[in-house]
Amino acid sequence: MSEAGTKRRRARVGAYALWQLRDYAKDRGVPTFIVALLSGYLGLSPIIERMPTRADEVPAGVLARFGSAEAVYAARMLDFNHAFLRGILGTIVFVGALFAMNGIVANDRKQGFYRFLFAKPMTPARYYGQAFFVHWAGFVAVMIVLGLVYGALIWPVLSRPLILVIALMFVAYAGIAFLLSAAARWDWMSLVAVTVASTFLWARYGESTHPLARLLVLLPPLHRADEVYASVSGVPMYASGAPTVIPWSLLAWLAGYGAVCFAAGLVVLRYRRLAIV
Amino acid sequence: MIAFDHVGKRYRSFTGREVRALDDLTLELRPGEVFGLAGPNGAGKTTLIALLLGFLGPSEGTVRIAGLEPRRFIERHGVGYLSELVNIPPAWRAEETLRRYALLAGVEPAKLRARVDDAIERLGLGEHRGKRVKQLSKGNLQRLGLAQALLCEEQVVVLDEPTHGLDPVWTQRFRDVVTALRRDDRVILIASHNLDELARLADRVGILDHGRLRRVVAMRGAAPPPDGAAAPYRIALARGAELVPDVFPHARDVGQGELELDALTLQEINAGIATLIARGALVSLVIPAHSLLEQQFREAVSAAGAEAT
Repeated sequence: MSEAGTKRRRARVGAYALWQLRDYAKDRGVPTFIVALLSGYLGLSPIIERMPTRADEVPAGVLARFGSAEAVYAARMLDFNHAFLRGILGTIVFVGALFAMNGIVANDRKQGFYRFLFAKPMTPARYYGQAFFVHWAGFVAVMIVLGLVYGALIWPVLSRPLILVIALMFVAYAGIAFLLSAAARWDWMSLVAVTVASTFLWARYGESTHPLARLLVLLPPLHRADEVYASVSGVPMYASGAPTVIPWSLLAWLAGYGAVCFAAGLVVLRYRRLAIV
Repeated sequence: MIAFDHVGKRYRSFTGREVRALDDLTLELRPGEVFGLAGPNGAGKTTLIALLLGFLGPSEGTVRIAGLEPRRFIERHGVGYLSELVNIPPAWRAEETLRRYALLAGVEPAKLRARVDDAIERLGLGEHRGKRVKQLSKGNLQRLGLAQALLCEEQVVVLDEPTHGLDPVWTQRFRDVVTALRRDDRVILIASHNLDELARLADRVGILDHGRLRRVVAMRGAAPPPDGAAAPYRIALARGAELVPDVFPHARDVGQGELELDALTLQEINAGIATLIARGALVSLVIPAHSLLEQQFREAVSAAGAEAT
């Protein structure tokens, strides 16, 4: 019998995105929110005493520079935000990507969930590729909620550049994690190892003229992630710091590296067998 | 419809030792048939199914479903599959599980609820529909696994140890479910340790051992044992049991009023029973000690064991 007599059917993977979003929210989004909240608290506690108040005395020169006491207060709050975000953004984005991608493919393979899933008419690349985007959207939503909470309690912090940088830095880490999860069983440990190794090697040998140092371009430039976070942490206006500009080329390198890894993960899923022997 | 052509599968252990899970297996499963797969533990049944679903690739030979490489066929059409271990995320609820799998099986939105309700009804899961998977008993989990395999009108249905954990009532109902699944353009593959179940359901049964297909036994329309072929029998008598040792000197009492006789030809067993009846005995039961399949299974596995040593 040939295939000609059989009717073709397609999984409704797009409609399944809502279930994937629900799974993200329950299993990963809530832990991300809680850990980020705790990290925020820990990041705030050492500097909370330095948080400006409207009752703070304003020197006459400063008042003249900003025009009003309210403007001085706003500038000082922006400086406070800057200090807070510089200290916490890197950790939250890394942990959020780790939570979002941990075992995204590997868990299903280890626990045998792949068997019923891929007896259905769909490819692993389609299913897990969609899961990547759903988790990405879920993570950004969690970050926006956290930003709104911070804004309500402390001072507005959300801005389009900040959300964009968070979303793209997520891709930088999550793309690598996705590839590792598609290719290996111990994905979260591998992600930590890759992050630590590339950060260390870039920092240690990035300036070296040794021919082997050129191989560093194969590793993600995660040691420079802080430059990206610094650029969207706010302008330290009160301290008259220079306005920062988002280093787009660096951000493109980081996010592009993650995107290439994600694409490589899809290729791995297209060709690898799912059973673990 | 399904063709295994000289298929072999080798695994390599961490120490580099090679294990042959399947060896030179050639087999064709035809549309409209129920094919049983029997074999002792480690015979290669699970590997064969993993190859059929494309979860593993063959080391040698080819596997085709309707002329396509297995993953290609499944990604276009899907298959009904119940695995030996029913692995479903434990936090999912029973009904939710079926709704999710129905979406992924490509059930149209307008039919989804009815299809899920039908599967719940058919597999008797009504009172468990709101329970989480981790709260289900082994038998109910097995039924949920079977329900998800039957959500669509698949052309290929693969059931690995389908009655594992089912109580006798549901084992019987499972047979009814499989009987109802029979269709001219559908292939049903059932792997099981339960030879009685395979004998009742399958048209043919393949016996695997040590990674090789030892024989394929036709179950439907099977001819009676050929003249001169001997097989052991069991008999029971309502009256005159004391006469049996005179007629069948090697008869052994196997309990519950039954006696097992050594291997006899059809002529020998008939002649012996005629003698018993002529002497006034009242025979209440005569059956082969082993079913045809069981007998074939024993022969195939013992031959394979002898070959291996």
